[in-house]
Amino acid sequence: MLPTLLAELSAQNVVTTPLTQAVVLPFLGAIVVSLIPRGRAELHRVVALLFAVGTGALTLSLLAGFDRQDSGFQFQVNRVWISDFGISWHLGIDGISLFLVVLSGFLFPLAMVAVAPSHDPKPYYAWLLVLQGGCIGVFCALDLFVFFVMFEIVLVPMYFLILGWGYADRVYAALKFFIFTMFGSALMLVGIVALTFLNRDGVVEANQARVATIQSEMATVQASQGLSGPDTPVDPAIAASLAAGEARIERLLNPKLNFDLVTIAESQTVTDTSTGASPFDWGAARWIFLAFALAFAVKVPLFPLHTWLPDAHTQAPTAGSVILAGVMLKLGTYGFVRFGLYLLPEPSVFFAPALVTLGVIGIIYGAVVATMQKDLKRLVAYSSVAHLGFIILGIFALTTVSIEGGVVQMFNHGISTGALFLLVGMIYERRHTRDISSLKGLQKSAPILAAVFTLVMLSSIGLPGLNGFVGEFLVLVGSFLTRRWFTVVAAAGVVLAALYLLWAFQRVFHGEPDEENADMADMNWREGLVMAPLLVLIVFLGVYPKPMLDRIEPAVARLVSHVENHSDYTEPAVATTGVGVDAPGEDGG
Amino acid sequence: MIAIAQVTPVWYLVLASVVFAIGAVGLLVRRNPLVMFMCVELMLNAVTLTFVTFSRMLNDVNGQTVVVFVLVVAAAEVVVGLGIIVALLRKQPSATADDLTVLKG
Amino acid sequence: MLASLWQQLSDSPVPIDSVDLAWAGLAPVMILIGGALLILAVDSLVPRRLRPGSYALATVLLAAGAMVAAVPLWQRVQDAERGPFATAAGAIMVDGFSVFATFVILSAVILAALSFDGWLRREEMDGAEPYVLMLLSASGGVMMASANDLIVMFLGLEILSIAVYVLAAMHLRKITSQEAGVKYFVLGAFSSAFFLYGIALIYGGTGSTNLVRIATYLSATVLGDSGLVLAGLALLLVGFGFKVAAAPFHFWAPDVYQGAPTPSVAWMASGVKVAGFAGLLRVFYLAFSTYRLDWQPVIFVLAVLTMLVGSVLAVVQTDVKRMLAYSSINHAGFILVAVQAATAAGVQAALFYLAAYTFMVAGSFGVIAVVSRKGDIGTSLDDYRGLSRDRPVVAFAFALLLLAQAGVPLTSGFFAKFYVITAAIEAGSSTLAIIAMITAVISSYVYLRIIVAMYGAGDDVPAPRTIPLPAAAGLALVISLTVTMSVGVFPGTLASLAERATPVLIPESDPGAVDPSGVPPGP
Repeated sequence: MLPTLLAELSAQNVVTTPLTQAVVLPFLGAIVVSLIPRGRAELHRVVALLFAVGTGALTLSLLAGFDRQDSGFQFQVNRVWISDFGISWHLGIDGISLFLVVLSGFLFPLAMVAVAPSHDPKPYYAWLLVLQGGCIGVFCALDLFVFFVMFEIVLVPMYFLILGWGYADRVYAALKFFIFTMFGSALMLVGIVALTFLNRDGVVEANQARVATIQSEMATVQASQGLSGPDTPVDPAIAASLAAGEARIERLLNPKLNFDLVTIAESQTVTDTSTGASPFDWGAARWIFLAFALAFAVKVPLFPLHTWLPDAHTQAPTAGSVILAGVMLKLGTYGFVRFGLYLLPEPSVFFAPALVTLGVIGIIYGAVVATMQKDLKRLVAYSSVAHLGFIILGIFALTTVSIEGGVVQMFNHGISTGALFLLVGMIYERRHTRDISSLKGLQKSAPILAAVFTLVMLSSIGLPGLNGFVGEFLVLVGSFLTRRWFTVVAAAGVVLAALYLLWAFQRVFHGEPDEENADMADMNWREGLVMAPLLVLIVFLGVYPKPMLDRIEPAVARLVSHVENHSDYTEPAVATTGVGVDAPGEDGG
Repeated sequence: MIAIAQVTPVWYLVLASVVFAIGAVGLLVRRNPLVMFMCVELMLNAVTLTFVTFSRMLNDVNGQTVVVFVLVVAAAEVVVGLGIIVALLRKQPSATADDLTVLKG
Repeated sequence: MLASLWQQLSDSPVPIDSVDLAWAGLAPVMILIGGALLILAVDSLVPRRLRPGSYALATVLLAAGAMVAAVPLWQRVQDAERGPFATAAGAIMVDGFSVFATFVILSAVILAALSFDGWLRREEMDGAEPYVLMLLSASGGVMMASANDLIVMFLGLEILSIAVYVLAAMHLRKITSQEAGVKYFVLGAFSSAFFLYGIALIYGGTGSTNLVRIATYLSATVLGDSGLVLAGLALLLVGFGFKVAAAPFHFWAPDVYQGAPTPSVAWMASGVKVAGFAGLLRVFYLAFSTYRLDWQPVIFVLAVLTMLVGSVLAVVQTDVKRMLAYSSINHAGFILVAVQAATAAGVQAALFYLAAYTFMVAGSFGVIAVVSRKGDIGTSLDDYRGLSRDRPVVAFAFALLLLAQAGVPLTSGFFAKFYVITAAIEAGSSTLAIIAMITAVISSYVYLRIIVAMYGAGDDVPAPRTIPLPAAAGLALVISLTVTMSVGVFPGTLASLAERATPVLIPESDPGAVDPSGVPPGP
């Protein structure tokens, strides 16, 4: 059975497309790793790394092969998975998802190199690989069902990673993480199914005109034959054409269910919501949007659903925190872009004010709470809440520039916060504490570590010339046009970020080290090797973000016009004149 | 003397439902497993009476055939049920339903 | 002289009327019953003990044989020309639905038998009785699934139940097993009486116990007073509710699941539930589809209650068997959601769920049977601490089965829930779908607690212990895990089988079948 299946899959070119490979390769790696006998501990690491690096290389090849002119989905693969329900293995990436795929591609091998597990390497690496496959799958999925499966499947490996290799309070953190996120996505499943039925109703409604045309044509034919109603014409050709007409009507009135993202998003044709002329029931769609939004809001996390995040981040092993902050939080923000703005534009516009408000609350709340943290890892975790608030503000400010900023910020936050968690993990490995008050004067004992920390921290603060600035600047510039006062408040968040990070840095690295901190080892070459690519990216994207922006902008512009076409929203004119699109790069240079 | 009206089938149905209710309530309030078991038998017999009455009302022989099946099933239940109850009573000679509290939660 | 007598009798001009039976249609039941009697005879006649495991092997072979016998039936009912057929004077229906349910029930028999083998040896209770009882019980289940007459359904229910009463009380050295047996028996008999009274009332209201005639009568006649029929339906629902452990008739389930021998529970939770739901669907969806507006709200309430009870009360349990008992109540609620839809998609979803659930739950209880200690004890949550170290493969398999029950993607449990949700939303019961998913999250907490016990024990793990894994139990685990995971990735095959397993109502179609009662229905 399996060989025939494989033959069938390869005949359909499913296996040979790069996106399928990038999704499946890590899963395959997980299986291979779990088949290696327990005793060969060193093999687990090597094999897992090979698969993770291979996946990373695949994603980089996607980056190289990406056509920057094309604003649509590229590298598409679309094959039937479950035909009865119109579910297909539909993958594809555009400028928005491209960099998130790349991020998942290279952050995983880095996390694997950076920290070796204290025990049980086999399941550890297997779970990490499953996680990688799932994350890439979420970013590539263009089918609601595939998306949901991937979105949900990432819970399991992260749960086991926290549970198996986490710190003291890991059981509580793992349970909380799983229950929170599962609760969110449970309702999303209902939303997805409801949406497909809604879409089918819309399709039937839209088909009515064509059905009427066919019926009148058939009536003409019948009349020309001198027949009335149910009589069967003598001429077999005409009988056949009438039967074909019946069949077409049947098909038009009973369309199959469809889970395809693109089809559903593009089929919402008429959008005059005031007259209710749309065949698509927007009232129901708003409820469905709420179901989606809940799942994403938990994942992002948006205030007040964020409480799982500090626990999970703090208790997770270092690699887990890196992936959690670097990649998994983006599942939520990416979901808002792709399955909010793109899939359900009208409800997104409708709920945008509420979401922007929550995002800005998150910026301020995250910053204030981060200031008060005693635990270095918890501080970084709360800083994520603030940064993710920026991204939400950018997305739901609904201008090309702000959304672009949000997408850029997703990638940049992955790099800088991932790097921060790696550094905190290094400190913890040496000192076995993350308590800020018991760390002191590390700059003396570990100067290189301190220097790297400084750079990463400045990037996280958003210092011009480093990558963090680009995204935040674009978000603020873009949002100012539509959400002036929110933007002003959010800008205060930037100042707060500087405050809590610099203060923490000062307490940990400055001063005279006491006995315990005096002989802390500096970064070794392996750790340097892990940090080097991240540092290069931090500087390079800060100085010259143009290649990245060039690839993101067409997709975002297309998204915004999609939203405009499908709702009563129109982007303010100033935003489209190109103010600031290239500016930060020039400023930074 | 009041002349008793002719006994209609409805009387039997009512009687059967009363007997069924007695059995059901008895099972819920009595605590001796054997008595509870007898209440089940009472309920089954009430159903038998209902079947026969309906059979008569509908002039349909099937209802009476059913009674034979019910009797056989009841007999089988007696055999198995008494076996289980006796096995328990051997271990706990004075068992009542209230004593069956090892399993709870 | 005998010869002349024989001659004389053979020449007798009057042939005796007998019901025409399509024996092929009854083959699975026949194999089960005949096999059970054969095993019983061998066990009592052979003076020497047979090799250990031979009864389990025989049971597995019998169930597999019954499956083989059911394959041509499936082909026949799917054949456009021949199609489904009724036999035994219209009392038994062989259609896609009944054959599908037969397959699921037989799978449960195989899994439970494999689990029984090692368990019985550990408990030093080697004997043929549990296998015989299970085969008989399965024959009752198959009868329920293919019953076209309420009386046959009652007989199936009793054959199924009486054997299970004994299976629950089987562990003679364990007082909780006896207690479970008595509780199950008294409440089971109680519910059977309700069920039977329901049949009597429906008989009184419609004039027949045959599902086809009931349906025909109900669609042709507008009852001035449908009180009898409605009361009968309610009583039937009580009976079914008890069997499938739907709230508020669920309270026996945790006690019985905890006390009864674990492999018996594997059978109770899988096979018995499948048979109960098969009967429920046949009666309510087919025969009383004209009354759906009356019974749908009732099932709606039952489903909500069942899911809530099954998920919320499971959270506070500390015994793994009780936890899974409540979780099986939650699953029953999910299947009721599919029943409530009362559409073809709902039936498909229910069948898919039952099939997927059978493998998950039988596998899970199989693990519990392995992990427990002699005397069938050691099923509390604490006994699972450190299992990931003592038996990593078993722990991992158990974790996967539990995640499947929680409905995590890439397992059959996810698709089962997905199909149910889809059916519910299509039928316009979005509220029910939302409640169902919320309870699914609540009960996932229960599964996570077990996984935490196995994987997150931390530093204070108990001393390592050796847990023997009998080969048969391992095989059962492999089977259930393989099915669960492969259906989780490629659900299409099972889904299309379930789709084609439609229940139908047709009067006896095999030529020559005799209608025993020429009496037209109706008072």
